[in-house]
Amino acid sequence: MNRKNFLSLFTAGISLPGIVSAAEFPEPPMIVPPALKPGDTIGIISPAGYITETELQPAVKKMQEWGFKIRLGKTIGKRDFSFGGTDAERTADFQQMLDDSSIKAIMCARGGYGVVRIIDNIDFSKFHLRPKWIIGFSDITVIHAHINSNYKAASIHSKMCNSFPEDWTKAEPSQIETIQSIKDALTGIKMKYQLPANEKNRKGITEGTLIGGNLKTLETLAGTKSEIKSAGKILFVEDTGEYLYSIDRMFWNLKRTNKLSQLKGLIIGGFKIKPDDPGEEFGRTLYDIVWEKVKEYNYPVCFDFPVGHQKNNFALKCGVMHRLSVIADKVELVEI
Amino acid sequence: MTKIPAYLKKGDTIGITCPAGFMTLERIAVCVKTLEQWGYKVKVGSTLFSTSENYFSGSDAERLADFQRMLDDDNINAILCGRGGYGTGRIIEEIDFKKFRKKPKWIIGFSDITILHTHIFSNYNTATLHAPMAAAFADAGVESKAIQSLKAALTGNPAKYSISSSVYNKPGEASGTLIGGNLALLAHVVGSSSDVNTKNKILFIEDTGEYLYNIDRMLYQLKRSGKLKYLAGLVVGGFTDMKDTQRPFGKNIYNIVSEIIQEYNYPVCFDFPVSHDKENYALKTGVTWNLKISGKKTVLREI
Repeated sequence: MNRKNFLSLFTAGISLPGIVSAAEFPEPPMIVPPALKPGDTIGIISPAGYITETELQPAVKKMQEWGFKIRLGKTIGKRDFSFGGTDAERTADFQQMLDDSSIKAIMCARGGYGVVRIIDNIDFSKFHLRPKWIIGFSDITVIHAHINSNYKAASIHSKMCNSFPEDWTKAEPSQIETIQSIKDALTGIKMKYQLPANEKNRKGITEGTLIGGNLKTLETLAGTKSEIKSAGKILFVEDTGEYLYSIDRMFWNLKRTNKLSQLKGLIIGGFKIKPDDPGEEFGRTLYDIVWEKVKEYNYPVCFDFPVGHQKNNFALKCGVMHRLSVIADKVELVEI
Repeated sequence: MTKIPAYLKKGDTIGITCPAGFMTLERIAVCVKTLEQWGYKVKVGSTLFSTSENYFSGSDAERLADFQRMLDDDNINAILCGRGGYGTGRIIEEIDFKKFRKKPKWIIGFSDITILHTHIFSNYNTATLHAPMAAAFADAGVESKAIQSLKAALTGNPAKYSISSSVYNKPGEASGTLIGGNLALLAHVVGSSSDVNTKNKILFIEDTGEYLYNIDRMLYQLKRSGKLKYLAGLVVGGFTDMKDTQRPFGKNIYNIVSEIIQEYNYPVCFDFPVSHDKENYALKTGVTWNLKISGKKTVLREI
């Protein structure tokens, strides 16, 4: 509504001194929280699903090995059915960690469902002045989208406490590398990922701010205060346990709410697809579904990026400029 | 004022098409026979003869063409969707409503067809009919209240539905334009050109086969996108075959809805017979209704 009014002033030919056109307003720069140093404290909270303190131990141990102190939030071990405490308890815990200046980063213990129930009651005013890294994925996509759209703040999309292996001697290389990528992201190392080309990719080299996360979560933010603003950005999406028809519907949602037309690039992460019921075969692959929606645009698109509900789920800095190169023999995503 | 398509007279023609999921011709046999007994002619669309081997009743182009033909054919007075499923959203932007706009006709269906209801109401300010589809004639039975309510709606009989009260109801009375349908679709269209303005309206919702947490999430989306704040009233239909996660969600549909709307003062009723079950009464969307919820009963009356 405001934008409409704003534009109509110009079309009506009214000149207002001191008002410059939108093009002269540079996008305010993204706010990137400071990198962590040894001795800094990471707070752990459960803003969505419930988790026990025991389940956190591998993550706590590892992050202590990295030289960080750990503070467990009050929601750890709390339970209200599927939630890590009541809405009020989860709000209070998140708020406390946001406002406590001795906490330098907040790691969400796990996803599940529940952030959307509390996000409107979180006060980000202190965070806005003194941002800190917030870490997580899946349901935590709500936080990434919310702080990116409202506060232009960067955050880390990565594995959470429930993905740290209990026994590191039995961990697969991808598990070790992905957990290491969280440390890299937190400590100010510039991210650089390379993966083999997929024949379904659309080639191109592009630069833009990275945003994204869980596709279903992004869809359910449409029309709300937490909705992503995708114009001029590189969008990544992933999902799990959804039928192909449902994935199709979600991509239609992105398209019909204008989130695909002005992208700089599109990164398709892991999609664990729920098999079609017999007789209900959807008849299209994930590739078909995506291509159908983006064929009219020209930006690069890559598939099988290692982000998602899977072992090779690498840390990505949302709200930070990246270069995406989708070329003949490989794909590179580099923080710039 | 909403445009109301002409009600049907004996001898008028009803076209049957499938804009979404696949359906065999046999599945509509009872429906065709019944509509003919009611005095209508029936024209079966090409999507009912589809050779599709996948989920859809033909390619997007085929489904679009069948729907478009029925929309533009002056000899067809109403379009009954064969079934829902998924797929109307894939073709909605391609449908040309130019002729329909000048000479609207009743579009009938529910579930995936919700997108047509919201799209047509928002863009063309025209009433549509949220009602059982072709398969329900056999499944619910021709004499069922649901099919009989569709029969009455087609001829322009104003509806008046009276149901017993739920203890979860919020009593009160409201009048307003009725809009609504399947919750997943209502959430899905938010922000798109098929989105619907709910202010001062009576909203009805129903869904099937969803996880309880997902129902909660979709209602939060409606709430956070401002769809619930200024309602005149809320009619909660059937939420059938709800699924739960391994760690139970701990709330049923009554708790979920009650919690989300507790800060608002408009009347709310539960268990209204609009659902994926046999209890699915015809509701004209875009038309003004009166909702009266008292301790004993709920009455939804077309005015």
